[in-house]
Amino acid sequence: MNSATQTLLTSLRTTVSNIRANKQTFLISVMTIAISVGILGLFLIIFFNLNALLTSWNQQVQLVVYLKNDISPSEKSDLKDIFKSNSKIQSMEEVSKEKAWEEFKLTQKNSVGLELDLGFNPLPDSYKIRFKASENRSRHISEFAGQLQKNRGVESVEYGEKWIDRFEKFMIFCQLFLLGVGVLLSLGLILIISNTIRLSIYSRQDEIELMLLIGATPSFVKIPFIFEGILQGLAGSFVSLGFMGAVYSYLKTEFRPSIDSLARGMELQFISQPFLLMLVGLSILIGFVASYISTYQYMQVLNKR
Amino acid sequence: MIQLFNVIKNYGSGKPALDDVSIKIEKGEFVFLTGPSGAGKTTILKILFGWEHYEEGQVLVQGINVGRLDAGNIHTLRRSMGVIFQDYKLLPNKTVFENVAFAQEVTNRDRKKIKFKTWEALKNVGLTPKKDSFPAQLSGGEQQRVAIARAMVNTPPIILADEPTGNLDQEISSEILKLFEEINRNGATIVFATHSQEILKPGKHRVIVLNRGKVVSS
Repeated sequence: MNSATQTLLTSLRTTVSNIRANKQTFLISVMTIAISVGILGLFLIIFFNLNALLTSWNQQVQLVVYLKNDISPSEKSDLKDIFKSNSKIQSMEEVSKEKAWEEFKLTQKNSVGLELDLGFNPLPDSYKIRFKASENRSRHISEFAGQLQKNRGVESVEYGEKWIDRFEKFMIFCQLFLLGVGVLLSLGLILIISNTIRLSIYSRQDEIELMLLIGATPSFVKIPFIFEGILQGLAGSFVSLGFMGAVYSYLKTEFRPSIDSLARGMELQFISQPFLLMLVGLSILIGFVASYISTYQYMQVLNKR
Repeated sequence: MIQLFNVIKNYGSGKPALDDVSIKIEKGEFVFLTGPSGAGKTTILKILFGWEHYEEGQVLVQGINVGRLDAGNIHTLRRSMGVIFQDYKLLPNKTVFENVAFAQEVTNRDRKKIKFKTWEALKNVGLTPKKDSFPAQLSGGEQQRVAIARAMVNTPPIILADEPTGNLDQEISSEILKLFEEINRNGATIVFATHSQEILKPGKHRVIVLNRGKVVSS
């Protein structure tokens, strides 16, 4: 067995013995990490689902092209040719001004104070266009709308760009919020874990001093505590994943009808695999940084004698 | 082997703990450091194994300039010596065997070799029957013998002992001293700090007397 493997095995044995000696503090630390990472994870679940909702609503966006009253048959035919030549269009429905007026009257018949018997039809002819699902669908709709707007027979084009824009801005805010919460929770966790490791160090102070007295290298002393921090991070992240999984299953069963009414066919999303790995990685990193800080500080104090 | 040149050590604003101390100890020597409490015996030992810094002077141990060592390489010096304390410094949650083996684990020795050497060291101090006992189950003399086994298990060329008989009665102290003399006969240099006049009585070894941080006689 080479020296590195020997050190690793001895360090692991010491780590296990450290944890056994401070079971309670270790468990408290693991639970604190689990709760904090769990909170971050729940925010991520909310974020993912809002994002999925946005995507789902985006898929339902349709472009409505209102025509001018004086549009000529050739201009109308040109427009139809433009629609046919666009490969990204899924379907196109022609809505005559009469049909639009009938639909309008039907939806507004219960509105108080709205005069529907005007004696003329104020609505224009229109086309309702749906687009195929694609990655840059929104951008394509926006560009296509701009192109149609220049057409002589087109009065106006609508596709709900404002609320999509607002929702996208809200999602950017969510991302920043998540980042902020993540950073704050991480800093808090570093403080908590470094204190736990410090307790572990102080409870074995005599042993550490003896190790140094009989010729242990600083890394031989530090590595078991760093392993302990990493283990705390790893265990905490696994507990939090279990907790998030339970919350997710509960929400999925309890709120299925509400989710379905918000966006038909949308499934409640769990955190994606890369983000799950990122959460585990973040916990391990926090454990490492915290334990490194406390062992480093302790060794500095010893060396100043 | 061990040389201190004009060493000055201050702990605070008062009188220096070591005041211009110069000592030379040859290879294979058995030297007593003696003097009243606060004379500087423990400070000298702590400086020799790199546990305390000193303000002025030079300290050479086996050609190594102790003052030039830092936290990253001080272990090379400490591996060349075995240190024994008055309070034994045994780990209470480890057995006698594990306590002695521990000194080798930190130096990354092979496990089979660790077993063999530990067994040998315990045999030398006559403690093989107690190998599975915990320190709390042993008498003071037995605990000190475990500490001696731990100090000699890596066969270091230098043994530093800080009041190793301080907590023991006269009869046990004599037994412990005999153990040190045996280690010395096997070639190790021994620096033995004590304030016990009984230990010094036979007059077989050189005695360095310290008082208030100064060497009074050498």
